Amino acid sequence: MNNSLFEILKIFSIIGIQLLGGGYVIVPLLKKYLVEERKWMSEEELVNFYAMSQCLPGIIACNIAICAGYKARGILGSIMAVLGIILPSFICIILLANVLSAIVSYNIIKNAFWGIRISVIILILVTIKDIWSKSVNSKYTYLLFFTVLFSFLLLPLSPAVIIILSALISLIYGSIKRGKNA
Amino acid sequence: MLKIYLLLYYEFFKIGIFALGGGYASLPFLYYLQSKYNWFSINELTNMIAVSNITPGPIGINMATYTGYKTAGIIGSIISTTAIVTVPFILTIIFIKLFNKYQSCNAVNNIFLGLRPASCALLASIGLKLLYQTLALSDTNTLTAVNIDYSALILFICLIIPFSLIKKNPLLIIIAGALGGILIKTFI
Repeated sequence: MNNSLFEILKIFSIIGIQLLGGGYVIVPLLKKYLVEERKWMSEEELVNFYAMSQCLPGIIACNIAICAGYKARGILGSIMAVLGIILPSFICIILLANVLSAIVSYNIIKNAFWGIRISVIILILVTIKDIWSKSVNSKYTYLLFFTVLFSFLLLPLSPAVIIILSALISLIYGSIKRGKNA
Repeated sequence: MLKIYLLLYYEFFKIGIFALGGGYASLPFLYYLQSKYNWFSINELTNMIAVSNITPGPIGINMATYTGYKTAGIIGSIISTTAIVTVPFILTIIFIKLFNKYQSCNAVNNIFLGLRPASCALLASIGLKLLYQTLALSDTNTLTAVNIDYSALILFICLIIPFSLIKKNPLLIIIAGALGGILIKTFI
């Protein structure tokens, strides 16, 4: 396992370049590069990190990169990871800042990004299909999944509130279940 | 100039703390910045949002970089970008250290047993919300047969069928979407 700091910076920059259409695609990208290709972490850990990132302040894609970098190489690793995520967009904006607002008005660019929005949706949906079996595999987790899904779709709740509530409910459920088994 | 740097750091430090949940959460803060300091115009702010959407990287980071750059050049952009990740970075490190320390404990395991399906469901609902916004034409809020964006629906179906069957490569899906978008919008 080559997890030198430069390697971490390199991988996260590669991921950063591909973060188009917002930070949502970070989960599929980490899954491909870190879980499948490099085996730096398991799928379960990735979902854990994603959950943690959501209840902390800050940009989710950065938070999850910090977690993944920490897992690979401690604090230095997480610094490299967040640098890697930021660098491509940073360079891109600095180089293009003065022409970007003109570029945005081209129809061909607008259309390409209209299409990318649909790609982002598909990436999210196929990723859920993949991580499903690791996360939703019992009556309790099924119930929780659909409760959260519908409450987030229908009620104006913040993701952080939902994450904290499900943590509390699971804590109580777990201790009751253990009490019964004992 | 130093005063602008300090103000930039302070304002983006605040955004880093309070913008919970995704890039667009920082939008209201940027509007506030605009009205408070007049570093940039509303028109520039609208451009910033569009630019953040087409440059790679999380939208929150892009907006911080672009705002910082427009306000105080390259140094400004370094300051605003560093500021927005400061607090989240420290908190995430503390959190993950605690997690590593207590992960063998039963209570932590129970919590994550529930957090995994919950965050899976959050991701799913983000996917569904985006799908709804994309398929329903923007001037209406209800999804009926009349106002479905058929070109979006066609592209969605054309992409999801092959990509749910073959091994997924995120970059390939993004490129296919961009090309599909150009083709469909040009010819339909």
